Amino acid sequence: MTKIFYDHLIKVGEIICELDKYNLTIEEKDEFIELVDGTFHHYTLKVILDNLPAEHHQDFLSMFHLAPDDKNLLDFLKKHSKIDIEKEISNIADKLKKEIMLDIQKSKKK
Amino acid sequence: MVKDNYSLNTELLYSKLKYKHLLSELELNKKHSSSINFLEKKGIKPGKIRQHAANLLASGALAGSLLLLPSPSNIIHQDNSGSTVVLVSESSFDRALSGQLQNVLPKEVGLLNAEQEIKITHIINQICGINSVAQLEGNRLNQNYGLIGAEQHLPRYPGDSIDQHGEYLQAGITPGLGGWGYFAYSKNQLNADLVQKEKYYVAVQTLYLPDWGTRTAYLSKWYKHRKVIVINPQNGKAVIAVVADAGPAQWTGKHFGGSPEVMAYLKLNVGMQKGPVVLLFVDDQENNVKIGPLEYNAINTPDIIKTI
Repeated sequence: MTKIFYDHLIKVGEIICELDKYNLTIEEKDEFIELVDGTFHHYTLKVILDNLPAEHHQDFLSMFHLAPDDKNLLDFLKKHSKIDIEKEISNIADKLKKEIMLDIQKSKKK
Repeated sequence: MVKDNYSLNTELLYSKLKYKHLLSELELNKKHSSSINFLEKKGIKPGKIRQHAANLLASGALAGSLLLLPSPSNIIHQDNSGSTVVLVSESSFDRALSGQLQNVLPKEVGLLNAEQEIKITHIINQICGINSVAQLEGNRLNQNYGLIGAEQHLPRYPGDSIDQHGEYLQAGITPGLGGWGYFAYSKNQLNADLVQKEKYYVAVQTLYLPDWGTRTAYLSKWYKHRKVIVINPQNGKAVIAVVADAGPAQWTGKHFGGSPEVMAYLKLNVGMQKGPVVLLFVDDQENNVKIGPLEYNAINTPDIIKTI
């Protein structure tokens, strides 16, 4: 899977492992993973933009769209964000992960 | 892997995940519509950023090669002489900067489109650790990729003469003042900062700016000693300079002028004494970027190479 610079903070792997426990077709699993991954990107991007002063948005997005895997982006965010951005991304991602794990649990059928 | 005894109601899970996905997309769009518009104009949907990253890697775009270099925060500092020192081998730096720029720049000097400008500023940021921009505080030059020609030394104070200028004396000194007058009112008031500004100055075509005639006073003040980065894309040599003169005239076919020191560092002080350069404003509100060449710290090179 292609890397994004914040992947180590969101750890979607646990959800993929959970889905692996069920008899899903490859198509079903891919579809779920795509939805989960996209949702994480939405959440993460929102956290980043919420906490990065507006004057730095253009610079961040310009670099992000050219090299989404560039680890220097995290340095840029740490330098310019109003809060501990790594911690915030991790917290939001953990919260979302718990919600999704719960959705999976609630979708179980005997 | 041990499969769970339970199976999943896939329709239910799909609807739950789809709902979350849509809701998160809506919230992101609602709060940050201009940012999302920016990405979408580039053909990127935020939820599909991984797919975009995969496409970039597949097309051999910037990311991989830029990661070969240390991060800007690790590679840049100021030395005692005031030059900006990049902790990477000269050949690596030159090769990286020159190679990456030539991938983006058009074959001939001329106007750059927005995409090229962004890519170039990103490359400069990644490799040099310098925040450069084509447009700063609403101001932009008519051209950022053009021909630079050799200029003479400028008189820094009343009574200044060529023999006071240290190096490149054969370049001579202009009989008149630079576009912004003397650097100091007297020799006593000439300090190290002003000496450096005259050494590394450029001339830009402010007289051809579309609003020069109507906003002369403001623009004149804004451009005076405005910090720029000048890069020779053919060899990767880069220098931080200031605007201290206006010109050259359009009929010369050149777009910028460079002081003897600038031209020498860019290795354009030979032959016709002109060549193509990228010239961008340096966004340096805290005045951290020192004027002068981007030099290399060879002592640190072996360590840096190990980390690459």
